[in-house]
Amino acid sequence: MINLAKKDVEHSLGKFLVTAMGVGMLLGIVLIMMGVYRGMVVDAEILIGDINADLWVVQENTLGPFAESSRIHEDLKNSISVVDGVKHSEAITFQNIQLPKGTMPIRVMAVGYDPFGSINPINQERLIEGSPLTKDHYQIVVSKETGFELHDEIVLARDTYEVVGITEKTVSSGGDLLVYISLKDAQKNQFLYSNNRVRSDRARGINNNDTTMVNAIIATLKDGYNVDEVANYIKEWKHKSVYTKKEQEDILTKNLIERAAKQIGLFTAILILVSTIIIALIIYTMTLEKMKEISIMKLIGIPNSIIIKMIIQETLLLGVLAFISGNIFSHLIYEKFPKRVVLEIPDAWMLFIVVLIASILSSFIGVKKVISADPAAAIGG
Amino acid sequence: MDKQSIRVENLVKSFGKGDARVDVIDGASFSVNKGELIALIAPSGAGKTTLLMMIGCVQEPTSGKIWLGDEKVYDDKWLNKDTRAIRREKIGFIFQAHYLIPFLNVIDNVTLLPQANGQKKEEAEKFAMELLEYLDISDKAHFMSSQLSGGQNQRVAIARALANKPKIILADEPTAALDNERSVSVVEMLKKIALEQDVAIIMVTHDEDMLPLCDRILKIEDKKIVSSKVMKGASMI
Repeated sequence: MINLAKKDVEHSLGKFLVTAMGVGMLLGIVLIMMGVYRGMVVDAEILIGDINADLWVVQENTLGPFAESSRIHEDLKNSISVVDGVKHSEAITFQNIQLPKGTMPIRVMAVGYDPFGSINPINQERLIEGSPLTKDHYQIVVSKETGFELHDEIVLARDTYEVVGITEKTVSSGGDLLVYISLKDAQKNQFLYSNNRVRSDRARGINNNDTTMVNAIIATLKDGYNVDEVANYIKEWKHKSVYTKKEQEDILTKNLIERAAKQIGLFTAILILVSTIIIALIIYTMTLEKMKEISIMKLIGIPNSIIIKMIIQETLLLGVLAFISGNIFSHLIYEKFPKRVVLEIPDAWMLFIVVLIASILSSFIGVKKVISADPAAAIGG
Repeated sequence: MDKQSIRVENLVKSFGKGDARVDVIDGASFSVNKGELIALIAPSGAGKTTLLMMIGCVQEPTSGKIWLGDEKVYDDKWLNKDTRAIRREKIGFIFQAHYLIPFLNVIDNVTLLPQANGQKKEEAEKFAMELLEYLDISDKAHFMSSQLSGGQNQRVAIARALANKPKIILADEPTAALDNERSVSVVEMLKKIALEQDVAIIMVTHDEDMLPLCDRILKIEDKKIVSSKVMKGASMI
């Protein structure tokens, strides 16, 4: 039997392909939206994963520096280091700063750590050039995406820093590029007020210029110790909030990303709905364009089943081609996005199933039109 | 019914109900023999196409009886609910315009119906080529209809109408879109088909020049078939 769908598509191949590509672009955007969410999750976990601490000790009754302001004294690391089960503990700071670069400063998150400490937050696998910090002052490790190169000089506040290392794909949970400076420099930048501010504070009777604060104390545990038990002990005796690595990840993914995920999820659902409507409209229009031929076929006696088969095959082909072009489109553009986009195969398969269902539902409109077509309409010009 | 291919008795078609009821055909009775080419004439709006569509099992009559070949298909109701199967198996249609399927080439247009009837592709194509040769258009078998002239397309449409070897052909103004020379050629071809293949053909036409080529003329007047004139010399073609 002649495959009517194949013949029809061959006859108007260009138009069909352009239509499929148009729908494909829409589906590509759906994939990108899913990728944006996946990227957010990956980004959120990069810093925590790289630091790879077992425990996060933060200001009491706060969720820690990724969720809200947290300030604790640096020397707490010494108290933590002697807790039974703790192997190493270090102080760490996080601060959003602007790196001067041409006319457009670059917003980054500066991670302050002790270069001579026992916990290094720089993942060696991401360090593509240079080295981690080797001095207590005026060195900086930057993310490649900042555009700085090794040995470039960057002025921050009153000091000039030399780029000693370059990392790649290092971002904060908010998607800001990461730079690494020494803890002392970070404390100075974050907690040292300007002379004017100090004078103003003194005039107000405030004499607090403590620069030994940090945002969190991170700790690793010795083998054989239960992380929850050590965390509970610190909570009880040190009057701090303590989170395990898993809890920190949950805070990020559930508390911080969840709303964004819902937003993206809703947007993705709307895009899928719009895609379905567009596919349905295209099939409806394609069927309407063929109504004369369909009426003639019905008039000369072609069974509905053959005509319906043509509509369904064309719809499915449109859906499959749109899906393929959507995938190609999304893979071509995803790296152009300023934030990380992670395209995952299971997401693509899920979209494929959705597109198939949408195509089948859309074809019902065409099928309904075929069934209702009046063969007598073929007569009379 | 041996000689008769189409028989219509007291056929009525009305639209609307009550005061809005309009009778289009009111008691039409006639028959068409095998091998006959009949011209159906009437003023515009008199119900020619409606009559053709009722005989072609496309529109349901209001009442009456229709026989196609030996089978009684309508007796105040369709006796076979699958009217499309009746059309597929018994009737070939030719229209005012060729109405070929634009995305199919000539051979596919001609073989579509036989294949839908379950005929094998090779078998359908062999017969289609014979038809196209018969209609002197076999060299265009793989052309699209957009590449053919009006007359060539109409010949392909005739081949399509013959492809399922029907014993009845219903032609609705098949020459309306053609010039006089091509119109004569098409009607002569229909006459030849009627004679050689023993097919009964009813042809709706407004073109008086075509009437001498037909065997008989049926005229609808005042909603009835009022005359059935035998044309002189028609059998000479």
